[in-house]
Amino acid sequence: MAEHNNPLSRPCKELEEDLVLFHYGELRDGEHDALQNHLGSCASCATYLHELGALLPLTVMTDEPQQTFWTDYSREMRHKLDAAGAEKSWRQSLAALFQPQLIPAFAAAAVVALTLTFSGEKGIWRANDLPPEDEALIEALPVAENLEFFKAMDVLDDLDLLEFMSSQGGAA
Amino acid sequence: MNPGDAELVALAQQGNQRAFEDLVERHKQKAYHIAFDFARDREDAKDLSQEAFLKAYTNLKKFDGRSSFYTWFYRILVNLCLDYKRRQKRTPTDSFDETLESHMEPSHEPPRPRSPDQQVLAGQISHKVGEALQALPNKQRTAFILKSHQGLSIREIAELMETAEGTVKVHLHRAVTALRQSLAEFV
Repeated sequence: MAEHNNPLSRPCKELEEDLVLFHYGELRDGEHDALQNHLGSCASCATYLHELGALLPLTVMTDEPQQTFWTDYSREMRHKLDAAGAEKSWRQSLAALFQPQLIPAFAAAAVVALTLTFSGEKGIWRANDLPPEDEALIEALPVAENLEFFKAMDVLDDLDLLEFMSSQGGAA
Repeated sequence: MNPGDAELVALAQQGNQRAFEDLVERHKQKAYHIAFDFARDREDAKDLSQEAFLKAYTNLKKFDGRSSFYTWFYRILVNLCLDYKRRQKRTPTDSFDETLESHMEPSHEPPRPRSPDQQVLAGQISHKVGEALQALPNKQRTAFILKSHQGLSIREIAELMETAEGTVKVHLHRAVTALRQSLAEFV
C-alpha cells in the first residue's frame, strides 16, 4: 500500500490511471468492480479518489449568459451566414466561368482576338473594294503631303538667300 | 418531428441556409461553453464559436458524413480554440484575473454577494486554475476540458481528437496528475 509522506495522497502507482477513469465513470464493469473492492481496503487510493472529487470541480468555470446574449448571438450569426453566403455565391459564379471544359474555348477566343488585333494594325485586313482611281488617290496622298513639305522648305531656303544677299549689298 | 443533424446537413449542403441556422441553434450553447473553457472570456468564446460555425458553413461541401456532424464541427472548434491559445501566448494582454472576473458575471445582473475572504479565495483559485490549465500541453488540455468540463466520453474525445482511446486515457491521466500538483494547496 502507498505511503503518506506528502500533502497529496499517493495512490498505488499501477492503479493511478484507473482511479482517474473511475472518477470519470469510464471503467468497464469488471474493472470498476475490482477497483471498488480495492478501495475498501486501501486508504491511500480512497483518499486520492476523494481528492480528485474535491479538486477537479474547481477547474470548471461555468458561464451562463442571459437570454439576450443568445438572441444577439443568433442574430449576429445570421448576418455572418448571409455575408458568407453572398461571398460563396459570388465565388461559385466566378468558379463556373473557369470550369475546365470552358478553358479551351476561352483560349481559342483569345487567340482569335489577338490575331485580329495584330493583323489589323498591319493592314492585312484593310477593305479592298474601292474603285481603282480612289485607291490611286489614297496612295498618292502621302506623296502629295511630302511634296507640300518640301515646297515649304524651298520657300524658307529662298528667304534665307534673300536675307543673305541684302546683308551683302548693305555691306558693299 | 425535428430533423436530425444529418438531414439538416444534407439540406444545408444543397444551399438551404435556414437548415444550417437550425444546426447553429441546436449546437450554439455547447459550442460556446467549449470555447469558454479554452478562452475563459465571454466575447472571445462567442467569437470563437461563431467562427467555427462559419468555417463549418463554408466548408460544408467537404463534410462527407463519415463522422457525425457533431464530431466534425467540434473538431473545427477545438482546433480554432487551440490556435487562439497559441496566439494569446504570443500576445499577452490583460491579466488573467481581470479578463476572467470582468466576464464571469452577466453585466446586467448584480454580482452574487461574497465576503471579502471568499472573493480573495475565488480570485486565487481562478488565477491558479487558469495558469495550471494554460501550462498543460495542448492534447492534455483538450482531453481534460472535453472530459472534465464537457462530459464527453473517452470514445467521443478519441474520435474528435482523431486518436486512439488509450491515448486519450493517457492524456487525461497526465493532465489530472499535473493539475493535482499545481493545485495541491486547494486540496
